Amino acid sequence: MPSPGNVGVESSTSAIAHEPLRRSVMTHPVVFVAAFTLLGELFALQEWLNIHRSGYRIGPAIVFASWGAQYFLWGVMAWVLWRLFRPFIQKANAFQILTIVLPVSLATCFIEEMIWVVFFPRIPIDHARMPYWERMIFNYKADLVESMAIFWSAFIFFRGFGYYQQLREKENVAARLEAQLANAQIAALRMQLNPHFLFNTMNSISSLMRTDVEAADHMLEQMSSLLRMTLERRDVQLIPLHDEIEFIETYLAMQDRRYAGRVNRRLSVDPELHDALIPAMILQPIVENAYAHGLSKLDRGGELTVEVSLKGDRVLACVTNSGLGLAAGPDDAAAGHGVGLTNVRNRLRLHYGEDCSFSIDELDPAHVQVSISFPLQLAESALETVTRFGV
Amino acid sequence: MIRAVIADDEVLARQKLRQLLREESDIEIVGESATALETIELVRAANPELLFLDIQMPGMDGFDVVGTLSGQPAGPVPRIIFTTAYDQYAVRAFEVNAVDYLLKPFTHERLRTAIQRVREQPAVQQSPGPANGGASAVNLYTNRIIFKSRGRILFLPVSDIRWIGAEGNYVRLCTASETHLLRETMAHLQDRLDPRGFLRVHRSFIVNLKYVKEVRREANGDSVVILDNGQKVAMGRSYRASLGDRLHRS
Repeated sequence: MPSPGNVGVESSTSAIAHEPLRRSVMTHPVVFVAAFTLLGELFALQEWLNIHRSGYRIGPAIVFASWGAQYFLWGVMAWVLWRLFRPFIQKANAFQILTIVLPVSLATCFIEEMIWVVFFPRIPIDHARMPYWERMIFNYKADLVESMAIFWSAFIFFRGFGYYQQLREKENVAARLEAQLANAQIAALRMQLNPHFLFNTMNSISSLMRTDVEAADHMLEQMSSLLRMTLERRDVQLIPLHDEIEFIETYLAMQDRRYAGRVNRRLSVDPELHDALIPAMILQPIVENAYAHGLSKLDRGGELTVEVSLKGDRVLACVTNSGLGLAAGPDDAAAGHGVGLTNVRNRLRLHYGEDCSFSIDELDPAHVQVSISFPLQLAESALETVTRFGV
Repeated sequence: MIRAVIADDEVLARQKLRQLLREESDIEIVGESATALETIELVRAANPELLFLDIQMPGMDGFDVVGTLSGQPAGPVPRIIFTTAYDQYAVRAFEVNAVDYLLKPFTHERLRTAIQRVREQPAVQQSPGPANGGASAVNLYTNRIIFKSRGRILFLPVSDIRWIGAEGNYVRLCTASETHLLRETMAHLQDRLDPRGFLRVHRSFIVNLKYVKEVRREANGDSVVILDNGQKVAMGRSYRASLGDRLHRS
C-alpha cells in the first residue's frame, strides 16, 4: 500500500488557506501604500488651501511633500506590521491590546517621526532652525494625536478585514466540506454500485442462490441495511462514532460471508467514545482498503483489527490488517486504491485543519496499520431515536 | 393452527411470504389481498389470527386498515406483522401493538423469528391500542423494546436478552446471537425491567435470571455469574448477597 497522492493533498489544502489572501486587492502592498499616500495628499490639499486663504505664503511643494511622506511612511509601516503580525492583530484580546498594542502604537509613532524628521529639516517652518532631537520631540508631540489616530484606524481596519477574511475562509471551507461529503456519499453508494463491491456481491448472491438460499437472503438483507444507513445520514457531516461503527459492523459481516472464514477480525471501541463525533464514512474506506489491498491477497489466516481509543483529548482510530505489506503493491494506486484514502485524508484536513493526523505504517512485513486521530468532540444531545419500551 | 392473511399490493411480495410460510406447518393462509379495502373485507369474512400487512398500499394505508378493524365492535382483531420497505413507521407500528415489523427485504430467518413471537406471545390485547395507554400500564414492566440496530428495526422481547452491560452513555443488550447498543442508562433500564426476571449484579451489568447457570467465586476472590452458554459476567461484592437470596428462593 503506497502512500497515496501526497503531493496532491498538500497542494489542495494549502490552496484553501491562502486563496482569500491572494485575491484581496486591498491589502496588496502597492495598492495599500498608494491609498495611504493619496489620503495624505488630500489632507495636504486641505491644509494648503487653508494656508493660502489665511494669507500665508508657503510653496505647495513642502506641504504636499511632507504630508505625502508622512502617510507614505505610515502606509509602509502599517502594511509591514500587518504582514508580520497578522494572526496576532486578528486574535489579540483586550488585555493584549492594552499591554502590547498600545505601547507598540506609541513606539511606531516615534519611529515614523524619526524617519520623517530626517527628510524635513525646515519643519516647523515658523521656528528658528532646531537640532534634530529637538525637532524630533517637537514634531512627535505635535503629531501624536494624529499619528495615534492613523495607527488605530489602520489597526481597526486590519482587524475588521481579518474578521471578514476569516468569514470568507469559513464559508469557503464549508462549501468544500459539503462537496467532499457529497462525494463521499456518492463513493459510498458507488461502493455498492461499482465492480469492486456490487458486482462481486451480486455474484456471490447469484452463486449462493443455487447452493444456499438462506445465505443469499442474508446478503441481500445486509446490503439493504448498508444502503438504509447510508441514505439515512443524508448530508450530516459529523456523526456519533456509534453510528459509524454500526455501518462498519454490517460491512464486516458482509465481508465475512465473502471471505468465508479467511479473516479473523476484532472490533474494539472505548465505551466512552460511542458519542464521539466522527466525520461520516471516514472509517469505511480505510476498512475497505484493508480488504482490497491486504486481506484479499491471503488465502487464509487474515487478521483485521479496528480499534478506536482515547489518547488524551484525541480520538485515535487504527485499522490494522495482515497481508503482504506495503512493498507488495506499489502499482495498486493505479487500481484506484489511493482515491479512498486520499479522500479520508482530505476530509480530515477540512474538518480539523492541522489538528489531525493520518498515517500508513508497516508494523512488520506482514501487517499494515492505517491510523487517524483528531480532537475529541462529543455529540451534544442524543440523536432522535426510535427506542421505546412497551408492555 | 394459526390462520393468516397476507396483504400486499405486490404479487411477488405475496408470493415470497406464501412460499416461506409453506414451511411453517402450523400456519394456514386463508386469503390474500392487494388493497386496504380488500384486506378489511377479507379479515371481516375470514377472521384470521394473524395478518401480514404492507403499509403502503393503494388507497388507504396499513394503519388505516388497523384503525378500521379495531374500530369495529364485532370480532377479534388479528395480530399484525407489518412488512414494509420503509423504516419510519416502526414506532407507530409498535404503538398499535404490532407483533413485529419486517423491513423488506427480510430473510427467512427474520420471518421465522416474527412467527415464533406470534406463537409465544399470547394475544393479551384484544384490540390494538396505545402500548402505554392505560394508567395501569404505567406500572407494568417492559416486555419488549423497539430500537434500530444496524439499519434494522427490532421489536425485541426482553426475555431474549441474556445480559446487559453499561458502556458510557449506552447499554449493550446481548441476546443469544447478537449484541445491540442502545443510548440508555442502566438505572432507567433497570427500572423498566421486571426485578423478578432481571438482576443487577454489578455497577455495569444486569443479567437475565432465566439464563443464569451458577454463581462462582473465582480463585482471586471475585465473584462471577455464569450463564448457561458459559459466558461469564462479573459480579460486584455488594450485589452478591441479593443474588444468593434469589437463587435459593427459586
